[in-house]
Amino acid sequence: MSRFLRRWRRSILLQVTSLSIAVSLIVIATVGTLLYTKIAAGVYQEKNSAAISEAQSLADYTQAQLDATRYRTDILLQTVIDNIFRARQVSPTTSVRETIMLATPATAKISKRYQGSSNDVLLSTIPESLRADVRKNFYSQSMRVQIRYAKGSRAPIDAIAVGRVLGIPSSSIYEIYYLFPLTQQSQLIDLIRGWMLGTGAALVLLIALITWYVIRRVVLPVREVAQIAEQLTEGDLSRRLLIRGEDEMGRLAISFNEMALSMQQQISRLENLSRLQQRFVSDVSHELRTPLTTIRMASQLLYEARSKLDPAASRSAELLVSQIERFETLLSDLLEVSRFDARAAILETKDIDLKPLVLNVVDQLQANQVPHFSFIAPDNEYRALVDDRRIERIIRNLLSNAMDHSEGKGVVVSIAQTEHVVAIGVRDHGIGFNERESERLFDRFWRADPSRSRVRGGTGLGLAIALDDAKLHQGSLKAWGRPGHGANFVVTLPKSPGIPMDSEPLDIFPSDQPSTILADFDSDDI
Amino acid sequence: MTLIMVVDDDQDLAEMLGIVLNGAGYEVDLINHGDQALEGFRTNKPDLVLLDVMLPGIDGIEICRQIRAESMVPIVMLTAKSDSHEVVQGLEAGADDYMVKPFKSSELVARLKVRLRRTPGDGANSLRIGDISIDQVAHSLNRNGESIPLTRLEFDLLVALAKEPGRVFTRDALLSEVWGYQHATDTRLVNVHIQRLRSKIERDPDNPELIQTVRGVGYKAGSAKQ
Repeated sequence: MSRFLRRWRRSILLQVTSLSIAVSLIVIATVGTLLYTKIAAGVYQEKNSAAISEAQSLADYTQAQLDATRYRTDILLQTVIDNIFRARQVSPTTSVRETIMLATPATAKISKRYQGSSNDVLLSTIPESLRADVRKNFYSQSMRVQIRYAKGSRAPIDAIAVGRVLGIPSSSIYEIYYLFPLTQQSQLIDLIRGWMLGTGAALVLLIALITWYVIRRVVLPVREVAQIAEQLTEGDLSRRLLIRGEDEMGRLAISFNEMALSMQQQISRLENLSRLQQRFVSDVSHELRTPLTTIRMASQLLYEARSKLDPAASRSAELLVSQIERFETLLSDLLEVSRFDARAAILETKDIDLKPLVLNVVDQLQANQVPHFSFIAPDNEYRALVDDRRIERIIRNLLSNAMDHSEGKGVVVSIAQTEHVVAIGVRDHGIGFNERESERLFDRFWRADPSRSRVRGGTGLGLAIALDDAKLHQGSLKAWGRPGHGANFVVTLPKSPGIPMDSEPLDIFPSDQPSTILADFDSDDI
Repeated sequence: MTLIMVVDDDQDLAEMLGIVLNGAGYEVDLINHGDQALEGFRTNKPDLVLLDVMLPGIDGIEICRQIRAESMVPIVMLTAKSDSHEVVQGLEAGADDYMVKPFKSSELVARLKVRLRRTPGDGANSLRIGDISIDQVAHSLNRNGESIPLTRLEFDLLVALAKEPGRVFTRDALLSEVWGYQHATDTRLVNVHIQRLRSKIERDPDNPELIQTVRGVGYKAGSAKQ
């Protein structure tokens, strides 16, 4: 039921068709009922008139016969009375008419000897109201009654009863009723009703079909447009509508196709533009590599020969080597960023334990040489399906960042996990950052304090790349900081790509600090 | 003296490479154009070819393919892009190793040394893998008296596996043993060469018996059907 309701709500075709069926049903039923009652009333009216006039003449004739018994000896009263009840049969079950003679209440006190009916019709067939009317008026009165036969010999029949008073010689007054069966009329009315029901149903069906067809002709193209529009939205920009005819639908198809074409052109233009730009960055990075190789080898040659150089030249060779190292790091970071921009970064996941990975980075950066360094990892293993190269890079970026800014006040690295999520936190107690700075923390080439000496010579891309790496894992990288109280970075990763992150194993607010400043970058921000 | 042919269109880099390699004790033959590479190779018969991928004229990959068609000489490619098809194409064309610019001189020399080293004689001169016998001294491979030519790298790869039959080598282990890498994890290098080696020694390279893949770990020398 709810499925049908949903379909109904989603389809104009169903809505309009069902509405037109409902409306036409109401109209046709109303008109049909009205017509039917009028026709039925007319048919009965006519039969009624005929019955009254026939009854009138029969009664007149019978009265004349009765009257005659008083003056002529050859006609016996009883014979006349018998003739009254002799009914002509149409068929064994139907009479042309039935006759009932009833004594008026006044006569009944003396005698009811002439009371009777034809074919065992029950005398109670005639209702009291008709009898009263008949006695009150001299002229014939009529009423619709149901003829009931004694002992169930025949089924009751609808009929018109016409009655008037009849005087029987020797001053007794009777009421005579002629009952005309309505069998024919009933049949006629039934026939008419059948036809009307049939025609009505056919009419409703016809209207429904016409509505269905017309709406379909309008809705089908609309549905097609909706379908094509959906496909366009999904990125299949080459989809077009079929143009049929020159009517409104045809015009719609033409302008729709024009819209799709211009959209396709715009998008491919923008795509080309951004592809060109990304390729430019990538090409520049690559083009720089060949001369950089020469420079690097040359500088190393000089560096190795520095003992033969004078002190100034020797120092210059040392600086040259270290700056070329930095330049190379910058170049590869730049290339990594351009890969993220081109969405060409690929996640190559492995099932690894994060604890040795983090410890390895700590060793490489000699973070454990930092005063007050501590490492918190209560569990034995922190297994996750991650891209180890990227995770290592995140940790290295966060840790070298923390070491750069810790001012010797201590760095804490911690790992924590829940069933589906693992988090790595890097906390320092150094200079920290304020709210304004927190907003730009993950911006490329942004530095908290440009005048600060670059102890380790980071590229300024470290945190931006770390954030991109975390996002690529569908994880998050959050930062907390307060000037003078240090900073806290937490990277939270699903243990397998695609698992929703249902918990946060590490709180971004350090437990030792009530905080107000928070920079929050989730994968939702992409 | 060992002769290294350097093919690079960047004259300054080529010269610098010459200086460095000379310093390391190698003789160097510099070639600046792709079209001259094959000719130079045929006349001078170098012991190793250092080949830049991007070259005017015939490109590095094509040169690599042509040299490999007539020689088993070690070929090391120089590339600026480590993540492009270039590397895989170069390896499939027959290069043994590749260096990503900008590399350190020491790194380059160390890598070339590995490629030029003679097979260390570590006791056993002859090894067997399946129905193939490996002669480590003569540096040759035999199946039923029929010789199978291998490049030095392919030979080293096979020997590394055959020396410890049944041991599963991770790709990283092979990289360090055969290529002399310390931290690198470029598994393409291993995969491409294993494929190439299989195509030469396996009866049915699609169902390898001699070098078997251990899913999710690496490779091992199989005993084949004895």
